[in-house]
Amino acid sequence: MIPLSLRFAARELRSGVKGFRIFLACLALGVAAIAAAGSTAEAFRRGLASQAGEILGGDLALTVEQRRFTSQERAAIEAEGRVSWAVSARGMAEAPGGLRRLVELRGVAGAYPLAGKVELESASSLDEALAPTADGVMGAAVERSLLEKLGLKLGDRFLVGNVPLVARAVLIQEPDRLSRGFALGPRVLTRLQTVEGGGFLEPGLPFGETARIALPGAESPKAVTRHLRTLMPRSAVRIRDRDDAAPGIRRLIDQLEYFLGFIGLASLVAGGLGVFGAVSAYLDAKKPTIAVLKALGADGVLVRNVYLLQIGLLALLGVGIGLVLGAAAPVALGAMVQDNLPVPALFAVYPVPLAKAAAFGLLSAAAFSLVPLARARSTSPATLFRRDLRGRPGLGLETTGAALAGAGLAALAVVTAPTPLAAGIMIAGVAVAFGLLWALGLAGAKAAGRARAATSGPLRMGLANLAGPGSAARTAAPAIGLGVALLASVVLIQSSLLRQVAEVAPRTAPALVFTEIPGERVAEFDAVVARAFATRLTKDNYLRAPFVTGRIVRVRGTPVNPEAVPQGDRWAYDNDISMSAIGPRPDPSGVVEGRWWPANYQGPPLVAIDVQAAKGARIAVGDAVTLSILGREIEARVAAIRKVDFGGFGATFPVVVSPSALAGADLRHVAIAKATKAQEAAVTRALGQGFPEVNVISVREQLEAATDLFDRLALAVRGAAAVAALAGLLVLAGAIAARAQARTREAAILKALGASRAQILGAYVLEYGAVGLIAGAAGVALGYAAAWPVVTLVFKAHWSVDWGGVAALVGGAALIAALGGLAASLQALSRRPAAALRAD
Amino acid sequence: MSDAVPPLLMDGVSLTLPSAAGPVEILRGLDLQIGPGERVAVTGPSGSGKSSLIAVAAGLERPTAGRVEVFGQDLGRLDEDGRARLRRGRVSLVFQAFHLLPNMTAEENVAAPLEIAGARDAEPVAREWLDRVGLSARLKHYPHQLSGGEQQRVALARALAGRPVLLFADEPTGNLDAENAEHVAALMLDLVAETGAALVLVTHDAALAARADRTLRMQGGRIAP
Repeated sequence: MIPLSLRFAARELRSGVKGFRIFLACLALGVAAIAAAGSTAEAFRRGLASQAGEILGGDLALTVEQRRFTSQERAAIEAEGRVSWAVSARGMAEAPGGLRRLVELRGVAGAYPLAGKVELESASSLDEALAPTADGVMGAAVERSLLEKLGLKLGDRFLVGNVPLVARAVLIQEPDRLSRGFALGPRVLTRLQTVEGGGFLEPGLPFGETARIALPGAESPKAVTRHLRTLMPRSAVRIRDRDDAAPGIRRLIDQLEYFLGFIGLASLVAGGLGVFGAVSAYLDAKKPTIAVLKALGADGVLVRNVYLLQIGLLALLGVGIGLVLGAAAPVALGAMVQDNLPVPALFAVYPVPLAKAAAFGLLSAAAFSLVPLARARSTSPATLFRRDLRGRPGLGLETTGAALAGAGLAALAVVTAPTPLAAGIMIAGVAVAFGLLWALGLAGAKAAGRARAATSGPLRMGLANLAGPGSAARTAAPAIGLGVALLASVVLIQSSLLRQVAEVAPRTAPALVFTEIPGERVAEFDAVVARAFATRLTKDNYLRAPFVTGRIVRVRGTPVNPEAVPQGDRWAYDNDISMSAIGPRPDPSGVVEGRWWPANYQGPPLVAIDVQAAKGARIAVGDAVTLSILGREIEARVAAIRKVDFGGFGATFPVVVSPSALAGADLRHVAIAKATKAQEAAVTRALGQGFPEVNVISVREQLEAATDLFDRLALAVRGAAAVAALAGLLVLAGAIAARAQARTREAAILKALGASRAQILGAYVLEYGAVGLIAGAAGVALGYAAAWPVVTLVFKAHWSVDWGGVAALVGGAALIAALGGLAASLQALSRRPAAALRAD
Repeated sequence: MSDAVPPLLMDGVSLTLPSAAGPVEILRGLDLQIGPGERVAVTGPSGSGKSSLIAVAAGLERPTAGRVEVFGQDLGRLDEDGRARLRRGRVSLVFQAFHLLPNMTAEENVAAPLEIAGARDAEPVAREWLDRVGLSARLKHYPHQLSGGEQQRVALARALAGRPVLLFADEPTGNLDAENAEHVAALMLDLVAETGAALVLVTHDAALAARADRTLRMQGGRIAP
C-alpha cells in the first residue's frame, strides 16, 4: 500500500514542474559547479597517481642539496635496485655571438630515465642527443626557448659557464619534470660528468643531486624508505616515494578544487534565494489546496509530508541534473584539451566528488525550502473563507531542520576544505555578506515605500512595486549582490596582484640578480657592472653582499624541531635559508627591535633575524642562536629583529651576521641592480668576458612570465566566479516570473486607466534597475571589504582598485536587472487589457 | 458517540478579526444547538456572519470568545490538528466555490477524505457516490474539465461519501444557474435525508431555506430573534 502522503504528492505533481524551473536551475547550477570542480581535481589526482612512477622518475627519489651523495650513501642506494643519478645546477649559457642567459643545467647518468621516456625532437634517443662530437664536445638537449633567445639552431655549439656543448635535440618533455618544480631559465640536459667537469658542483654552489631507484618487484617503497632512513637522517636527505611525487602540484590541485568548490557553494547560497522564492511561490499557490485538505480532515503532518515529498523529489531531480552536468563537463572538456594539459589527468566519472556535491545540494535545498514548508503547514483552513491569512512558521520540526541544514552546509564546507580555518573565515564571510545584503534589500524596499509618497506616475509605480510584498529588492538583490561581491573580490584581488607584478614590482624590486660572484674579485665585478650600465653605482641602483646558505639549528641551546614551528614560519627552519654577513647598517635596515652593530664591529658574532623567522621559534633580542653555515656551527647572539621586505630592493636576507662571524671564509657574493632592458643586455654580455661563472637572473623576465600566467589565470577564475553571478540572475528571473501574473493584471489596469506603454515600461525598468544598482553597489562594497585584507595582509601587496572593473560590475548588474525589468514589462504588455482583465 | 449528544453546540460564540481599519466584530455572542439529523438553514444579508458561523462551527476558525462543541467535544481544547482529526469522517463541508483539489480527478477528489480517514475502500466508495450524483462517466475528469454544476455534484459526493454526522453547506448553489441549482439542492437534501446527517445550510435562496427543518436569520453577527 502506497503511503497516503506519497499518493497525494504524486497527484499534486501531475501539473508538472513549471513553477520549479528556477528551483531546479539554481540547485543544478550550484551542484554542477561543485561536482565539476571536484571531478576535475580528482581527474588530476588520479592522473598524477597513475603516472607517479614517471613523475618521480622511479619508485623512490632521494635528494641532497649543495652536496653530492657520500660514498656510503651511494652504496646504500645502489643496494636497493636499479639507480639513475642526476645533478641540477644553474649556469649562464652563451652563444658564439656573445648572447647570454641563465639556464637550468641538468646532468644525468646511470639508467636515466628509469621510468617514462624523454621526449626529443630531432634525435631518436637520449643517447644520440647526448653523445659527444668527434672532437669531444658533449651533446645536449635544450628547450626551444634557449635556441630562440640565443639565436642558435640545432647543431650549433654554445657554452654553459666554461663548458662547450652542442645543441643536438630540442627537449620537449622529461618524464620527471613535474616533480622538480620551478625553473628560472630554459632547461639544458646533458651527461652528469659534463656538469661535474664544468665546476658546477663545487662546495657552496647552489646545486643538488637526486638518485632515483627502481625497486625489484616485491620491495615496498615504504619499507625501503624506512630502511634508508636508518642510514640517512631526515635533515640530510629528502626521500620521496610515488605517493609524494609532486607535492606542490597536489597542494595546488587541492586548493584550486576548494576555491572553485567554494564558488559553487556561494552559487548554491545565492541560488538558495531562488529555491526559497520558488518554493514559497509554489506553496502560496497551493494554499487553497492545503486549506481544503485540512477542511477534509488532513492534519499538519500529512500536509507537510505531501509537500516535503514533492520538494524532496524535485530537489533530487535538481541535484541529479547538476551531477550529470558536473560529471559530464570535465569529461567533455578533458576530451578536448587532454593533449595540452601540463599535468596528467584521467577524466572519468568519480563517485566521491559527486557524492560531496550532492550532499551540498541537498543540504542547501533543505536549508532554503523548509521554512516556506513550515509556513505552508501552518496554513489555516479558514483561508477558504478569507484569502488574506498567512501561515506563520513557528519553531517546529521544519524550521529546526532548516537551521540544522544550514549549519550542516557550513560544517561540510569547513571539514572538506584543505585549510579549515581559512574555509571557516570564508563561510562566515559569505554568511555575513548574505545577511547584510538581505538587510539592505529590506531597507531598500522600506525606503522605496517611504519615497513613493513624494513621487508620481511611473516612478511612483516602480517604487510601490519595490516596496510591495513581491519586491525583487528582497529576493533578487541579495542573490545578485552575493554574485557581484564574489566577482568583485576576485577582480579586485587579481587587479591588485597583477598591478603588483606588472607595475609596482618593476619599480621597487631589482631588475637583475647576480649570483656566484667570486668574493676575491668583487671590486672588479662592480667596475664591470658600472661600465656596462654606463652609470655610477649607488645604493639606490646597486647592492652587493656576501651570500651563503645555512640553517638555524639551535635556539637558546635547544635544538630546533621544524615540525614544532607553525606552518607559516616553518620555511625558516626546515630548509637552508639565505644568509649574509654585513657590517654597516643597511638602509633601510627594517630593524624593529634591538640595534644593528657598529660598522666596524669585531666582537663575538651577532645576528639580525627577520621578524617572521624569529616569531617561528620565539626568538628575541639577546637570545643565543646556533647557525650551521658551510659545515661549521656558529654561536651568535641576536642583536636585532628586523622586518625584511622580501620583494623590495635591499638586503633581503632573513639572517644577517656580523662580518666577524664569517671572518676568513671565502664567500661568494650576490648583487641586485635596477636596470633598463638595454643595461640588462649590456651587463649580461659584458660579464661573459671576465665573469662567466656569475649567473644573471632577469627578474624582469620572471615578472613578465608571472604577469602572463596571471592574465591567463584571471580569465579562468573570473569565469568561475561568474557562475555565482549567474545564480543571482536566476534568482532575478525567478522574482520576475513570480510576479508575472500580477504584473500582467497591473499593466492591464494601468492601460485601462490611460497609462501609455512607455510609462509602464519606465516603471518596470526603474524597479529592476534600482534592484540591480543596489545589488551591484552593495556587492562591490562587500567585495572590496573581502579583497582588501587578502591583498594587503595575505599577499602583502599594494592595494590598487580597478575602477574600470568596479564600474563595469555595478553598471552591468544595474543594466542586466533593468533589461530583466524591460523583458518583464514587454511580457506584461503583450496581453490585451481586456483579455488580462477577463482572466482575472 | 451517543445520539443524545447534539452534533453541534455553540455557546456565546464571538469572533473578532483584525483589519487595516481596526478590529471587526464578525460574530457577537452566538448561541446555537443542532440536533442529530436536524436540517437548519441560515440566511441573512452579506456580511452578517453566515460563512464565519460555518468556519467557527466546523473548527476551521477559532472563536475569540465562547464555546463550540462538536459531538460533545470542546473545540477550544483541541489544536488545529486535533480539530482536523475530529472532522475526519464525521464533519463535511460543501462550499459555494466548490474547492475541489485541482490536481485530482473527480474520483480522487471524492476518495480524498476517505483516504485521509484511513478507509481501505476509498476508491470503490468514491465511484459509487459519483454514480449516485450522476457522474459515473466523469470519474477520471479533472475539475477544470467539469461544468460548475458537475463540480458541485463532485463536491457533494465528496462531502457525503464518508457518511458524515454533520454537514455544513455554504451557499452550495450560489455559483450555479437555476436549473443546476435546483438539481444540486434536491440531490443534497435527498442524500442528507438518506444518510441521516445533520445539516447547517447557509443560503440566500429563500425557497431552499424553506425546505429545512428550521431557518435562522443572521443580522450583524447575531441570530435575529
